[in-house]
Amino acid sequence: GPGVLTRTLLNAGVRVVALESHPAFLSKLQSLENSLDGQLKVIYGDFFRLDPLVTGAVKPPAVCSDKLFEAMGIAAVPWRADVPVKIFGIFPQRKERNTLWRLLFILYECSSIYRYGRVELNIFISEKEYKVLTAKPGELRIYQALSVLWQAGCDIQLLHMEPWSSFLTNLKNGRLAIPKSTRLPNDHLCLVRLTPQQNLFTGGLKPANSATFIFMVKQCLTKPRSKLIDRLNSWSLDNADKLLKALEIPNYIETGNVYPEDYKRLFCALQNSSVFTESWFHDEVLESIRNINL
Amino acid sequence: IPEVTINKVELAPLQSNRQSSRWTEKLKKEMYIRQLKVEKKLSIAASQMTLEGQPKVKTKVKLKTKVKKKAKTKAKKSQKSPKATASASRNQSHAGPSSANTCHKPRDRSSQRKIMQQTIQSNLECLLYLQKPEEAEKLLLLYHSNPMKRKLLNVDAYNVVMRGWARKGCLHRVIHLLSMLESVSLRPNLDSYAVLLECMTQSQSSTKAIWRCVQHLKKDGFHVDELFQKCLFEGDEKEKVLKAIRIIQPDYQLPPPPKPEICKAALLKNFYSEKKMVSYPKLDFSVQELREHFQQQLEMELNSTITIESVESAKPLTPQAIKAREQLASFRAQWRGAILQALQKSKHNMSQVKTVSGHSVLYPYLCLLPDKEYVDIMMQTLNSLSPQGESLAVLARELGSKVYNKYLTQRKLHSGQFKKVQEIYENYIHLLAKDTQPSEYLPREYWEKLVAEAGYGPSLNLKDCSWPYVLLMRLGMYLLEILVHAVKVPRNTLNPRLPSKLIPVLYHIYSFRSSWQVGLIKPHPIFSQIVSDAAEAMLTFNSSAIPMLCPPVPWTSPHFGAFVLGDTKLMRYVDGAIQHQQLLDQCPQVNLHPVLDALNQLGNCAWKINQPVLDIIISIFNDKGNEKLDIPPPVSEAPKPPVSPSSSSALHKSQKHELLLCKKKAAEMHSLRMDALYKLSIANYVRDKVFWFPHNMDFRGRTYPCPPYFNHLGNDVTRAILLFAEGRPLGPKGLDWLKIHLINLTGLKKKNALQERLDYANEIMEEILDSADHPLTGRKWWMNTDEPWQVLACCMEIAKASRSPNPAAFVSHFPVHQDGSCNGLQHYAALGRDLIGAISVNLMPCSVPQDVYSAVAQQVEEFRKKDAEEGLRIAQVLEGFIGRKVVKQTVMTVVYGVTRYGGRLQMEKRLKEIEFPEEYIWEASHYLVKQVFNGIKEMFSATRDIQNWLTESAKLIAQSGRTVEWVTPLGLPIVQPYYRIRPTVLTCNMQNLSVKNSSNNNQKPDTVKQKNAFPPNFIHSLDSTHMMLTALHCFRQGLTFVSVHDCYWTHALTVDIMNKICRQQFVALHSQKILEDLSKFMLKHYCRYCFPDKESRALWQKKLMEQLSNVPKTGEFNLNKVIDSTYFFS
Repeated sequence: GPGVLTRTLLNAGVRVVALESHPAFLSKLQSLENSLDGQLKVIYGDFFRLDPLVTGAVKPPAVCSDKLFEAMGIAAVPWRADVPVKIFGIFPQRKERNTLWRLLFILYECSSIYRYGRVELNIFISEKEYKVLTAKPGELRIYQALSVLWQAGCDIQLLHMEPWSSFLTNLKNGRLAIPKSTRLPNDHLCLVRLTPQQNLFTGGLKPANSATFIFMVKQCLTKPRSKLIDRLNSWSLDNADKLLKALEIPNYIETGNVYPEDYKRLFCALQNSSVFTESWFHDEVLESIRNINL
Repeated sequence: IPEVTINKVELAPLQSNRQSSRWTEKLKKEMYIRQLKVEKKLSIAASQMTLEGQPKVKTKVKLKTKVKKKAKTKAKKSQKSPKATASASRNQSHAGPSSANTCHKPRDRSSQRKIMQQTIQSNLECLLYLQKPEEAEKLLLLYHSNPMKRKLLNVDAYNVVMRGWARKGCLHRVIHLLSMLESVSLRPNLDSYAVLLECMTQSQSSTKAIWRCVQHLKKDGFHVDELFQKCLFEGDEKEKVLKAIRIIQPDYQLPPPPKPEICKAALLKNFYSEKKMVSYPKLDFSVQELREHFQQQLEMELNSTITIESVESAKPLTPQAIKAREQLASFRAQWRGAILQALQKSKHNMSQVKTVSGHSVLYPYLCLLPDKEYVDIMMQTLNSLSPQGESLAVLARELGSKVYNKYLTQRKLHSGQFKKVQEIYENYIHLLAKDTQPSEYLPREYWEKLVAEAGYGPSLNLKDCSWPYVLLMRLGMYLLEILVHAVKVPRNTLNPRLPSKLIPVLYHIYSFRSSWQVGLIKPHPIFSQIVSDAAEAMLTFNSSAIPMLCPPVPWTSPHFGAFVLGDTKLMRYVDGAIQHQQLLDQCPQVNLHPVLDALNQLGNCAWKINQPVLDIIISIFNDKGNEKLDIPPPVSEAPKPPVSPSSSSALHKSQKHELLLCKKKAAEMHSLRMDALYKLSIANYVRDKVFWFPHNMDFRGRTYPCPPYFNHLGNDVTRAILLFAEGRPLGPKGLDWLKIHLINLTGLKKKNALQERLDYANEIMEEILDSADHPLTGRKWWMNTDEPWQVLACCMEIAKASRSPNPAAFVSHFPVHQDGSCNGLQHYAALGRDLIGAISVNLMPCSVPQDVYSAVAQQVEEFRKKDAEEGLRIAQVLEGFIGRKVVKQTVMTVVYGVTRYGGRLQMEKRLKEIEFPEEYIWEASHYLVKQVFNGIKEMFSATRDIQNWLTESAKLIAQSGRTVEWVTPLGLPIVQPYYRIRPTVLTCNMQNLSVKNSSNNNQKPDTVKQKNAFPPNFIHSLDSTHMMLTALHCFRQGLTFVSVHDCYWTHALTVDIMNKICRQQFVALHSQKILEDLSKFMLKHYCRYCFPDKESRALWQKKLMEQLSNVPKTGEFNLNKVIDSTYFFS
């Protein structure tokens, strides 16, 4: 956009690589780049069209993460190492949900930007999405698969809340560009920091099997009022009772009341049992990946 | 509950004031006492009601608020409304000429009310069927006692309960209900009196009581005769009512049947008046043979399903298959037991619980059939589940409607309707059989005559007893849940090393789409594996999936026709839509006669199987299939993934992708294979029989055969195995027509004149004979044609005919087709009298067939040249790329309302196919679609105007909150069923289901769909009219005639006659003032009301009126030229 965020970051004295997707803003930014002696680097590209799945050459403003990181001069670091790079951005309101899901998949897969380590995201999202990300078990209809997976994957930190009134948010037709929300408050734009957990890939969860984890959580939370044990039984699991007991999860619990950590522990335990080795579960996960990646 | 009671008590004195003159004091007192007793029961019932299931409650609440609003704004009218609804409902139950045009305006609003009433009605009917009048009355009281809910009750609801008591001979209960009904200012209708009289006979009432009853009847403005003319009776009800009447009037005779009305549609005036001279063509069967066929059909329908041998059964059995079959058989026996047990347990729980759960509504519906039948239905669903699984909604609907259909069959058996149909059909055969006197009646007329003559006995139409869609789904979900929970298999079935724990055979899983998810039921791979290993030799179908083995029951009303027992809709529509049915019921029945007669005509065509062709197809099918010849290979031929999917996590992304592609391909192959298996197996089952396809139509009047898998609308393979059962000599020109037909099927010589096609056929006679004699071992000329299997069948026919000593006398069963060339545009060109357009779609006689696609391509090329000369870059780039192929799809779909957006996408595809430089594709496709539209505008100038006029009119109508309706020139009323639908959420244990119920609350028309679909729907209603006219007139000339929309079939002998009729009828149809009539109809329909209160509305109205009156001008094409156009249909 006009570069408000970029200027703020520059004023803070950090090195900035700016991605701009619209040619209209590009020239202004480039002249700023030229005036700044290397503190700013401007790239024509769209962060929200990172690593598109179509085969063939990537056409700008779509960008490839490896090209981008090469341009920034940042090399991959091990997962447990420190944050290699911080990313700032404002999510387009219309694509908020989709973007959050896409980021989740690459996070758990350790692909795209997360191939370079625990990249820290500092993003502006609407208050209602923030509420979902940080929802607690038992908050019916707010606590969703998205909440579980983000909470299990990242530290979520609220840095700032800014009322919508501070922004020019009108659409061309004069209506507000802010999505309506009935269940959740949505009066602010929230700056949220998402730092991937250092110990994310422990206890059996690996980038290679994480799709199964995501699939499991989604299946469980489609109907949060259903019982966890019923779900497990419907996957033809041996002794679901015993398993829950061993994990000290009550066997009457509803899926909407299970903590993110417990989902992870459950997954790791299941990984050791035979459920996931049965072919049908594989096929379902594969199928779900196909749907996700579209 | 206390509130309810108070209301109730207040009621009694109120009614005694008002109605004191009507019924004796004694009865009233008795009733009062009874009412008090009932109140006690009521408290229990009311508590049941509150838990009746959430979605229902929701709609009720909405309805209530609506009613309140109405009450405020239309305070004056509110008093009248109950009467209005009463009369409307009366009209519905005795749909007759008198009910025409009643209450058009409130239809949309009334339809949600109708759903609620339907639910109540079906619950009551259900209890009536179960002979539980006490329960029915309890239910009725729940509504009756609440002033709000009471508004949902109509006379029919009370009548059902009365009928229940009448069957038990409890006269005092019936009288009690009558007074209840009057207490809420409803008036008894004819049915009420019929029930009362029936009950009086049953309980041997005094002459005086009956006399009084008849006096009341007359006082209410009815006539005794009407009882027998308009009421629907079951069992011996009619006799009982008659007996009652004869007690007071011993010499009473049943009224003579009403004089059959004659359809007055201008297009068919001659058809219906001339008929007395023409007798109905006979089938080649004796009465005895047809009777036997009918018996076979009856047996099949009584069983409701039929199990036939699969064509795969010819394959030898492997030991593995034998083992798997044994295993499966023993599992099935176990599952049956488990399901039965689960069902009984669940039902028991339901019946025990007093404060009932949401399911209690379903309980009566689970008692309609013996438990075993429910188990059968569930087992069928299990057996036919595909390995890819199926969505819950589809399965639930399937289960629900299977129960409904069985219940309906039961009802028909119990009510005596079935026996009467049987009797009448046995007489009806006399119209068709060869060893009877010829008769000049049409099938419908003959059937109606027989019904009238029969006089006594049950009516053939059942009283309306359809179940609301939501209820059907709820019942289906309930059964599905039982199925999922009860059916289990040992885990170690295929791998003995695993522990032997029981695991579910079906699992429930969500599949995620972009913003929503679908619940799926999938079979466990163990089950799929056993089923596939077993390669079972038998297939089970619904009896309605098999062609009929006797001539279909003629359509005589929107509610009666086609199968003997099975319920068939005259008009197909999306689930839950009720607008079409309402419209059909409301229109004067005589207006439907042409449509019914045309459907009967199409359904009466007898078919048989082309056995040699079928055998060749089956041999290839059972070998390895052949994709090129459209015989789907078995899944075992599917591509194998390069890596074993032992652990998907270890796979690369590209490997995963490949694996997925393989799976997808296998799934596609499976469904194609199964589809072909069904078709071929059914064909094989009827290979030695003669059979019939009963027909019905979609909402635009396009006709379809009812059996879904195997019919003449199918692909090349299915068409190739069908022959007319009736044979006709080829005659002097028949062999030539066969040859021309052959060349038409090959797709060669499309631009050549008929004579040239014939010459070509004679030229390649050697190839033709070789294909016929050695289809699989010869030179295989037939394989490289457009429609190879039909070509092969035709080669064989030509070979036989040409080798016969006298080809003209050769008896041929082969159907010869005549296709409309771009039929949609033909109708447009005729509507608009577009001269250039008419030439290009062959409405004008020409020596060679014209090709509209080439013509448009030429036009576009001219535009391009001009633009290129003027220096337009994209026009220059496109040089040499514009041809018939590029424009064909877009031109074809213009008729069906393709937009610029869709047109551009089509262009993009075509350009990619011809390897147009990629960087220009976007721009070029834009340019091309614009020029194609311009080209069409140039050639079909009036056509575009008409399209725009239709679109714009539909837009204004939809924006004013109404749906687009019209009537075809044959009198068929049509309504476009596109609404902005709010799905209802069904709460079930396993999953919540969102049910799109288009007759749901708050239906506003979907403006975009109403507008965009109107032109194509209107054109389709015209092409269906043309087809029906041709069908009716062909039959008058004694021709065999069937159609696949705009492709007409007949014997080689009669092609010339059919062609003549086809052209005559096209001219006759378009000589009508179609657009003016449409405009008049719409003006009358949509601009009737004035809104003096609202100025904005009035302005709107004016705009609409101007639009509708402004009928587009037409060109100067002389329509009569069509008569001489060879290539109009060819």
